[in-house]
Amino acid sequence: MFTRRTLLGAVAALSLMTGATGAVAQDKLYVPLISKGFQHQFWQAVKVGADKAGAELGVEVTFEGPDNESQVDKQIDMLAAALAKKPAAIGFAALDSQAAIPLLKQAQEANIPVIAFDSGVDSDIPLATASTDNLAAAALAADKMAELIGGEGKVAVVAHDQTSRTGVDRRDGFVNRIKESHPNIEVVTIEYGGGDHLKSTEITKAILTANPDIKGIFGTNEGSAIGVVNGVKESGAKVVVVGYDSGKAQKDAIREGVMAGAITQNPVGIGYETVKAAVAAAKGETVEKNIDTGFYWYDKTNIDNPEISAVLYD
Amino acid sequence: MSELVRMEAIDKSFPGVHALKSVNFDLHSGEVHALMGENGAGKSTLMKVLSGVYEPDSGRVFVDGQEVKLPTPKAAQDLGIGIIHQELALMRDLTVAQNIWIGREPRLSFGRIDEAKLNADAAAIFASMHIRMDPRTPVEGLTIARQQMVEIAKALSYRSRVLIMDEPTAALNDAEIAELFAIIRRLKAEGVGIIYISHKMDEIKQISDRVTVMRDGAYVGTVVADETPISKIISMMVGRELKDEAVTIPDLSRAETALEVIDVSRGKELKNISFSLKKGEILGFAGLMGAGRTELARAIFGAEPIDSGEIRVHGRPVRINSPAEAVRAGIGYLSEDRKHYGLALGMDVRANIAMASLRRHSDAIGRIDEAALAKIAKDYIAKLAIRTPSDRQELRLLSGGNQQKVVIAKWLLRDCDILIFDEPTRGIDVGAKAEIYRLLNELAAQGKAIIVISSELPEVLRLSHRIAVMCEGRLTGILPGGADQEKIMALATERNGKTAA
Amino acid sequence: MSARESGLGGNAQQKLLAFASLIVLVIGFSLASPNFFQVSNIMAILQATSVNGVLAVGVTLIIITGGIDLSIGTLMTFCAVMTGVVLTWLGMPLPLGVLTAVGTGALCGFVSGGLVARMKIPPFIATLGMMLVLKGLSLIVTGTKPIYFNDTPGFTTIAQGSLIGQIIPLPVPNGVLVLFIVAGVAAWILGRTVLGRYTFALGSNEEAVRLSGVNTEFWKIAIYTLAGAICGIAGLLIASRLNSAQPALGLGYELEAIAAVVIGGTSLSGGRGTILGTLIGALIMSVLTNGLRVLSVAPEWQTVVTGAIIIVAVYADQMRRRGRS
Repeated sequence: MFTRRTLLGAVAALSLMTGATGAVAQDKLYVPLISKGFQHQFWQAVKVGADKAGAELGVEVTFEGPDNESQVDKQIDMLAAALAKKPAAIGFAALDSQAAIPLLKQAQEANIPVIAFDSGVDSDIPLATASTDNLAAAALAADKMAELIGGEGKVAVVAHDQTSRTGVDRRDGFVNRIKESHPNIEVVTIEYGGGDHLKSTEITKAILTANPDIKGIFGTNEGSAIGVVNGVKESGAKVVVVGYDSGKAQKDAIREGVMAGAITQNPVGIGYETVKAAVAAAKGETVEKNIDTGFYWYDKTNIDNPEISAVLYD
Repeated sequence: MSELVRMEAIDKSFPGVHALKSVNFDLHSGEVHALMGENGAGKSTLMKVLSGVYEPDSGRVFVDGQEVKLPTPKAAQDLGIGIIHQELALMRDLTVAQNIWIGREPRLSFGRIDEAKLNADAAAIFASMHIRMDPRTPVEGLTIARQQMVEIAKALSYRSRVLIMDEPTAALNDAEIAELFAIIRRLKAEGVGIIYISHKMDEIKQISDRVTVMRDGAYVGTVVADETPISKIISMMVGRELKDEAVTIPDLSRAETALEVIDVSRGKELKNISFSLKKGEILGFAGLMGAGRTELARAIFGAEPIDSGEIRVHGRPVRINSPAEAVRAGIGYLSEDRKHYGLALGMDVRANIAMASLRRHSDAIGRIDEAALAKIAKDYIAKLAIRTPSDRQELRLLSGGNQQKVVIAKWLLRDCDILIFDEPTRGIDVGAKAEIYRLLNELAAQGKAIIVISSELPEVLRLSHRIAVMCEGRLTGILPGGADQEKIMALATERNGKTAA
Repeated sequence: MSARESGLGGNAQQKLLAFASLIVLVIGFSLASPNFFQVSNIMAILQATSVNGVLAVGVTLIIITGGIDLSIGTLMTFCAVMTGVVLTWLGMPLPLGVLTAVGTGALCGFVSGGLVARMKIPPFIATLGMMLVLKGLSLIVTGTKPIYFNDTPGFTTIAQGSLIGQIIPLPVPNGVLVLFIVAGVAAWILGRTVLGRYTFALGSNEEAVRLSGVNTEFWKIAIYTLAGAICGIAGLLIASRLNSAQPALGLGYELEAIAAVVIGGTSLSGGRGTILGTLIGALIMSVLTNGLRVLSVAPEWQTVVTGAIIIVAVYADQMRRRGRS
């Protein structure tokens, strides 16, 4: 299997890593964040906020998450590895709350405080939750959509998934507000593209083909929104696109006018507040149960306002 | 006649094997030099040294009197040394011309291939060989013989002055062999030197000028073909004299019939074939390549379905739709291509012998009785004189003759009383051939009913109690054992009732 | 059979080397971080190995026949989902749920085997199709929502409880126990039974086996069915571990399992392989993943290192083979 040389190589590689991580000094508080992903710009922005808080408060922060949001068991393994490191507190954004309960109980028994973030954890073990109110944010998107299409006509939703809390809340927040407050608008279809740019593009084109008279499409996260923009561009239709989150492509689309506007959460704030609450909890201070990290509507007119650009990411 | 190649004191070892022990060899232009020896004698290794596949540990190679190094096959090709391997190395889905010029395609701008020139160049080579062949034909559709012509053309396209042919006639029928020899004679007249590796004595006498014999990796001697009797060459090869026995035909008038084939047809390959086979009888099947003998064997064995007709085993009609059903009826088939169809080369002797009989040597939940199988395997190794260090030896490490014996053991263990041998001695050296013949005779004496398909007429004549001859999917006649060769050839070329010239 | 083809045994030298590299990894990580070699973390590693390990054992059987099964990941999910249907929706008792998981797996394996053996669809294509069909079926059956097992007492103990922990003071999770039992049985089948013998023979030379009068279709289907049943056990484990059947899960698990098989020295061209090798391969994968996490190596680099290790492992194996022959 392995030759002696590769074994030596492995040992050398390991010792290098040890050197690199030797900075994890014992006297510093250590707070790992287990997120739902790490590749999307959104999570990278959360990480920026977490690192910022870590630097300000003088604690060691690490950040990781599975490759995609269906890998529930991978996330559980990450949580297990994080617990093994005996941290001061843990930040956790559960893909599936139930699945994590045994480990969360383990954390509780070891007196490691848990702070939930993003979509939170469905349990009373976390001392606090730092998150966006997705229902309210998607409702704002619905109001803006109604305003932009003149209060009547057909709209569609391209959602990122049908199982996660954020997917469900953003879809329901949008659809319910349309039903309640905008009776002349009809949601003709809700499709799921897994937050994948390409899949969402194909879905959008299919929606446009099936409903040539459609007036607006809402994409529920970064990948979905960009997919919608691409699909609209490729089929050359005139449709009001409303997005969610930010990222370079979405910002460009708004500047170009292809996208009318988008809801942004405050990912930097989420990361920052999570670490702040975690450190407070680790020191035995009381923390607020629900930390609302806020959301904003942004479009061409306010995209460069300092207040907005601070929470947008590329 | 000038000296083309000289190899001096070539020595080559592999881990555990001293493959070449200070071997000498030389080749003149315009000569056919036969290289003979039993399998494992070192012929192929020597030729691999000459064609740049192996580098020798010591010894020198001269081409045109100049000492040369042949570190790669490319270096050998550049010196005009071409080799035609026993297992043809053509790409089935490409055309004849594409195969010949693979890697050296004439180019147009932007990397386009000049197909016209490609085909024309190939056609020119075939013209020089006096062969009619359309360069645009896909290789897939060609017979083995035609594929060999393509290989020769490919070798010639490198302007080869030395042509190494490794058992070129193994898969050819007599007419095709005659055509191949005509080409060899023409090449010879043009000054090409040919190294000819074969096991077939009659061919050696026909085509070669000199014969070099090797044994156990060592050089035995070089003799002039015309002046040396075959028995002398054989004794040089095996290191002892072999007796050539004539067939003795037993009285089978009272033996019961084991197998009846009645009016069996399939597509264009098999047309209304009927014959019967008695217990204790060896029925030889002669015919040209493509006459339908292998197809018939596979049909009886259920490897290919039949369109119509009936097969009876011991008087009872049986339906055979798969090899599994044939085996249940007591029919065993030893394929012409042992490596592809007969054996699991990566597995050991014991596992191969047991392959068809595992159900009998395992219990209700499928546990294999290894102890019993070990005993059985050792029995057969002794009984058939299979040369192997143990019953756990991997089969790929055995010689062709011993591999064939393992296949035979497999069917004996399965208790098959009808055995179909398709080319039982292909690729097997002279000494082992005699042993296989003896074994077949013993099996027949024990009451097994045996069919032997062979493209080597002497083999059919030597073994068969009766000889069935096929041509173009029809059974054109059944002759008594020991019939003369002209009669067999007449039936083998009988096209739709008329005898070809 | 030569020694290297037998089940749990195998070429002593190769197994020693594979085992040695596993040990070196463990020692390396232990020296690098005091948090690595802790009972709780070792148990976490074993727990993380259990699902992938069981899947890898199943697909080892198929790979030895010279085939491949890409549907194992989504099949595992589908089995978990069907177990959820039987236990949570229909409220049946636990043993029936276990039977459902194994039965569903066997049935789907039977279908894959039929596609490959009877309809002669290349395994890669047939199981690629099954992979997508099963993924879709899982989403359809569940209406895309996870099914939870809160109403079935004892369900989570299948993977999370510890029978061993009640006997000796080492809380080895039941999932790991299940993995070792599955591996033991699979190794026994490979090394001692007719089915195992034909598994190797099919991978070695299928046509020769057919012409030996063996009903190759039957045996091939049997092997795929067995592998499917093993995937069903993996489905049970992951459902018990997550206390839920997650319908969106499953894609990508086939590649991780195949990687473990290959690291374990099983040849993708068939005819050769061992269960012990696969087990060690699966352990190497999870020790690596866990160790890199405990060392807080950036997740991007974790993937790079894991990929590199797979390549190095297979290359080393190739070199060793070439050196021997």
